[in-house]
Amino acid sequence: MMIPTGEATIGPFFPPRYVDQGANDLTMFDGRKAKGEAIWIRGRVVQEDGAALENLIVEIWQPDADGIFRHPADPRHARADPDFLGWGRAATDDKGGYVFRTIMPGAPEGRAPHINFMLMFSGLMRILKTTLYFEHGMDVVLLAVPASRRELLMAKKQGPGSYRFDIRLRGENETPFFGD
Amino acid sequence: MLSIPMPTIIQPRDERTQPARIVAGYPQTPLRNPRQPLVKRSPTLSELSGPLEAARRVKLLGGDIAGHGDKQAIGQLIHLKVRVLDEDGAPVGGTLVEMWQANAAGRYLHPNDDDHAPPDPNFYGAARLVTDESGRCELRTVKPGAYPVPTRDGWWRPPHVHFSLFGKVWLSRLVTQMYFPGEPLNGQDRILNAVPDTAARESLVARYLPPTGDPHDALVFEHQIVLRGRAATPVQP
Ligand SMILES: [Fe+2]
Repeated sequence: MMIPTGEATIGPFFPPRYVDQGANDLTMFDGRKAKGEAIWIRGRVVQEDGAALENLIVEIWQPDADGIFRHPADPRHARADPDFLGWGRAATDDKGGYVFRTIMPGAPEGRAPHINFMLMFSGLMRILKTTLYFEHGMDVVLLAVPASRRELLMAKKQGPGSYRFDIRLRGENETPFFGD
Repeated sequence: MLSIPMPTIIQPRDERTQPARIVAGYPQTPLRNPRQPLVKRSPTLSELSGPLEAARRVKLLGGDIAGHGDKQAIGQLIHLKVRVLDEDGAPVGGTLVEMWQANAAGRYLHPNDDDHAPPDPNFYGAARLVTDESGRCELRTVKPGAYPVPTRDGWWRPPHVHFSLFGKVWLSRLVTQMYFPGEPLNGQDRILNAVPDTAARESLVARYLPPTGDPHDALVFEHQIVLRGRAATPVQP
């Protein structure tokens, strides 16, 4: 067995060109449109003192509209939407805001619809991992979170096809993060 | 893409092989890292799958970033032979590797960097490529310079190269830094030394390969990166 390499902060100098134009739009892949309901997810990332964090990198991973992951570990992956990659990257702006355009995920086997989030930033020695949900439901990952904190993982519906998911790294109403 | 998958197993890491989240003398860390205990979960398919084709979503830049002829970057030319493995020691081929670094004077081409050192018009400092089937990729670059951290209390980052890698599943995603052997600043760097385990810390330092004449114009370093995950052992009926 080999020891997994130690993590380190992404630091303040992640090249801007690594946040490719369109990398935050999961509804299009190779010029083709993914199937399903296109939605917006917007949010703001703040630290303990409430300061907005600029240039923080947010990545997401999710299944397609039918809840199928584009990955051979999914027994159904041969039927995954060929026009949906399921991965995206965004950087926060000077107000701490990020935005993704994506497809409303279907429910994978045994899980409620959700989107996996990763946050990388100067001062984060380890990647922070959390999960966005659209509503409370039976879901092994959600149920692992103390009941009093589950609401913090719920995206708030802002209007048709528009959701808000704010992230607080530390302090009051701190977003639950997973330690795996 | 793999056709017949061997499910990936992810087990908790030995915390001593990973950096502390809050680091003395690194003033941003106590403001940004969770106060609440991290939630323990058993990984499901969602975390044990992940983007295998991120390279199709981004622009690849290749691994030769030192420039040529009168466009060659200033600094010591180096070749960096990187090998990406999983916890079984099996190569992780076809995975996206993103690398970035300062120029030979210790300056990044980034709006966040101040003007303590000059930019090099022939050096952007970012390589983005995909590992081959044996998990290897090769970079031709210049050795990065050390740079002072704006804490202005004597903390200098030793020469280092940043890496971002994907691997086979979401939980194998890694952001790390690679250091150079024998650098006097390694012993006091607050980021490198945030990893408590000595062997784990030393594995973040590249290995220097004595010159053989090939290449004749560059020093060669070798570095191994281990991503989380091992293949599930097939169960015999
Ligand atoms: Fe750096």
